[in-house]
Amino acid sequence: MKSTFLLCFLLLSTYLCNGIASTSSAMHTNNWAVLVCTSRFWFNYRHMANTLSLYRTVKRLGIPDERIILMLADDMACNSRNKYPAQVFNNENHRLNLYGDNVEVDYRGYEVTVENFLRVLTGRHETAVPRSKRLLSDEGSHILLYMTGHGGDEFLKFQDSEELQSHDLADAVKQMKEKRRFKELLIMVDTCQAATLFSQLQSPGVLAIGSSMKGENSYSHHLDADVGVSVIDRFTFYTLAFFERVNMYANASLGSLFSSYNPNMLMSTAYYRTDLYPRQLEEVPVTNFFGSVMETIHTDSAYKAFTGKDSTKSTLKMPLGKSSQDIRRTLASSDVQCPTSDSNVEDPQDSCPSTHFWNSVDEKMRKVKGLDTWVNSGLLLMFLLVAFSSWLSF
Amino acid sequence: MKEEKQQNISTKKPRFWRWTVASIIFRLILIYFPKNLNLATRPEVSTPVTSLRRLAEGYWLTQSLMSPYAGSMYHGSPLLLSVLGPLTMKKIEEQPFHLLCSLVSVIADFICAMLIRATGLKLRMTYCERLKLLGLGKLFEVSEILPSEDIAALVYLWNPFTIVTCVGFNTTPVENLFIILSLYGACIRVAPLAAFGWVIASHLSLYPAILIIPVILLLGNGPDATPRKLFLMCKKDEDDSSSKGRVEQNGLKELKSFSWKPVVLFFVWAFIWTLYVLVLCGIFMRNYGGLSEMFRRTYGFILTVKDLSPNIGVLWYFFAEVFEFFRNFFLIVFHVNILFMILPLAIRLKHRPCFLAFVYMAICSMLKPYPSVGDSALYLALLALFFNELAEMQFSFFLFCGYVGVSLLSPVMHNLWIWRGTGNANFYFATGMAYACFQIVLVVESVSAMLNHDRKIRKLVAAT
Repeated sequence: MKSTFLLCFLLLSTYLCNGIASTSSAMHTNNWAVLVCTSRFWFNYRHMANTLSLYRTVKRLGIPDERIILMLADDMACNSRNKYPAQVFNNENHRLNLYGDNVEVDYRGYEVTVENFLRVLTGRHETAVPRSKRLLSDEGSHILLYMTGHGGDEFLKFQDSEELQSHDLADAVKQMKEKRRFKELLIMVDTCQAATLFSQLQSPGVLAIGSSMKGENSYSHHLDADVGVSVIDRFTFYTLAFFERVNMYANASLGSLFSSYNPNMLMSTAYYRTDLYPRQLEEVPVTNFFGSVMETIHTDSAYKAFTGKDSTKSTLKMPLGKSSQDIRRTLASSDVQCPTSDSNVEDPQDSCPSTHFWNSVDEKMRKVKGLDTWVNSGLLLMFLLVAFSSWLSF
Repeated sequence: MKEEKQQNISTKKPRFWRWTVASIIFRLILIYFPKNLNLATRPEVSTPVTSLRRLAEGYWLTQSLMSPYAGSMYHGSPLLLSVLGPLTMKKIEEQPFHLLCSLVSVIADFICAMLIRATGLKLRMTYCERLKLLGLGKLFEVSEILPSEDIAALVYLWNPFTIVTCVGFNTTPVENLFIILSLYGACIRVAPLAAFGWVIASHLSLYPAILIIPVILLLGNGPDATPRKLFLMCKKDEDDSSSKGRVEQNGLKELKSFSWKPVVLFFVWAFIWTLYVLVLCGIFMRNYGGLSEMFRRTYGFILTVKDLSPNIGVLWYFFAEVFEFFRNFFLIVFHVNILFMILPLAIRLKHRPCFLAFVYMAICSMLKPYPSVGDSALYLALLALFFNELAEMQFSFFLFCGYVGVSLLSPVMHNLWIWRGTGNANFYFATGMAYACFQIVLVVESVSAMLNHDRKIRKLVAAT
């Protein structure tokens, strides 16, 4: 009786610790974006344009290509039906070419499959898969997962031939949580009946928003008569409209983003799910997921390649608002960075007086600043001595 | 006949100086070409240890109060940094950017050539004296003894390798200068000068340290001579006939013993200069980890072959593919390859220390981790010092063509491999191996030619 009670208590405490520690133990390290377009064929131009628009936005707000996994199931820019070759537009005014100078597509064409998508999320790749195709996030990463294409009740269609189901997605997210591959995850889905796709999620630290609820369709925004197809979906159009007003330093919150969706304009209800997310949406800036604004820690001294017996250790100013558990992840002293300092940072407790003498000479020498000119004058003196001694012994 | 020869020699002098000045002007013209003709980036010319671009980076790091060895760019001596560093930063108006450093190289080349000339003169004089002592003065009438010192100096100045090294923005001319300085000091038996040259040369790049043996032999025995046995043979004849004068007998007596006094002085002065250099380096490196850091980053870098970028040597290719487990073993094998050759060569060629120095330099430049054409510039000039003795060297034309061919093909293969992508590392390494083969053939043939020459003299002495 007592032993079972103890066992239950232990299990509960570990569960609680896991639950509590999962979201708040790690410091936010970096931001990742996984942008997936799952549709093929020319008439699904708008899904490609959705994904490329989001790609452009997150890049503009600071996430670099190394931390974006862009999966495009078909090539619209170089499609034979594209009147504007190598150009993809998301608006009929053709103001923005989304396929600009530096678009880095990681998974293209037939590589965008459910299997590869789940491999990206869970990190289970074959050994030959290059780094650019891996989601190399750690336990402090914030990940933005954006999916667009054709979907339905509890599924998302990939390439017109297979589907990703909501419990598959939930399982992948659960594996990610177990493997500590994210700190916070924002899932944004722009398909028909999008909210059903994340209905099975249970992992903490996940925030999800879909463009429509069960039984509703998501609609495209407008048709571009010149290109010949619809070029953008409504949900993504209004998301982009919000982001065009935002730059890297803006403080707009996720709450304001989510409340900017007007069901009348979208012709569907943008449903979001915050029960798994610990923070209040009004306090979370959009750059938490959509951009990459890194926390900088100020130090006083310049970086020294070798510190060793340096007496002026740098003092770090702690960033405000961090819990005490975060301190263990920040640098306590700059000596930690140098591998060569280990051999020299020793207490001269058991050394003989001569080493004391040399240490004190060393200290004095270090403090005297004019010694660099001594080297030059020493060299000059050496040459003079050589000349003199050679002349003497000649 | 003798007056004619005097006249020939005197007309050659202004010609020599004309060629010298022309070579300096040629270098100055080349310096004014934009970006030093991109020679500074060629792997044959600048190595990780000698590149001035890396020195500039090291100097900039010290200006930013960081260790010059941080970041593994600079691997040379701190003293060179404090001398050449400020020069890399200075820019004179309307002149090419690195004019001052290139001027330093030109001056170093010139002084080097003058020292080679002085050494060569001493060698030739000694050679003529010794031949007279042996009673072979007749040889002068039969075949002319060329002024090998002028030839060697001109070879050094006009060797395309030297010119390329001088213009190519690196520190090899300075290193060559100190090596030649030590040999010159040893030839004229001034121990402090020889010690200074040797200490600085081995401080700047590690391998001239093996020149201690020829330097000691030079200080003890005097400049190159035919083997001692010949004089002993002569002495036996001397006792019988009284036709030779007293001076020559004294000269023969002098040659018999190895004089220890200059050698001891050399060691004392070497110790003094080593201490001095180490103290200066210690002062320089006081904030950056001290002398151990300096040794690790300079000599440790050279000995452990950390940088495997392609060069004209043979080590980079091998160490790119050797397994970690065997790396130390093969490092020892390659370095011992140099060390094992020291003793046998010293025993065989102890009567010719300058030639021994040439052989050592050739072996070093072949088996160094980071060789460049500047090293071969040096030993080719030293080879030309022995022009008279090596007149009957075999394969000289073959070697000449080989050197020309390798120096033309090597940049082509490098370009094919790196820039065009139509070749691969094997193309470039093949030229490196061919270069090493030619160097081996050169060393072997020159040593055998020198020994043949000594044998011939011995036969002539025995015949008289």
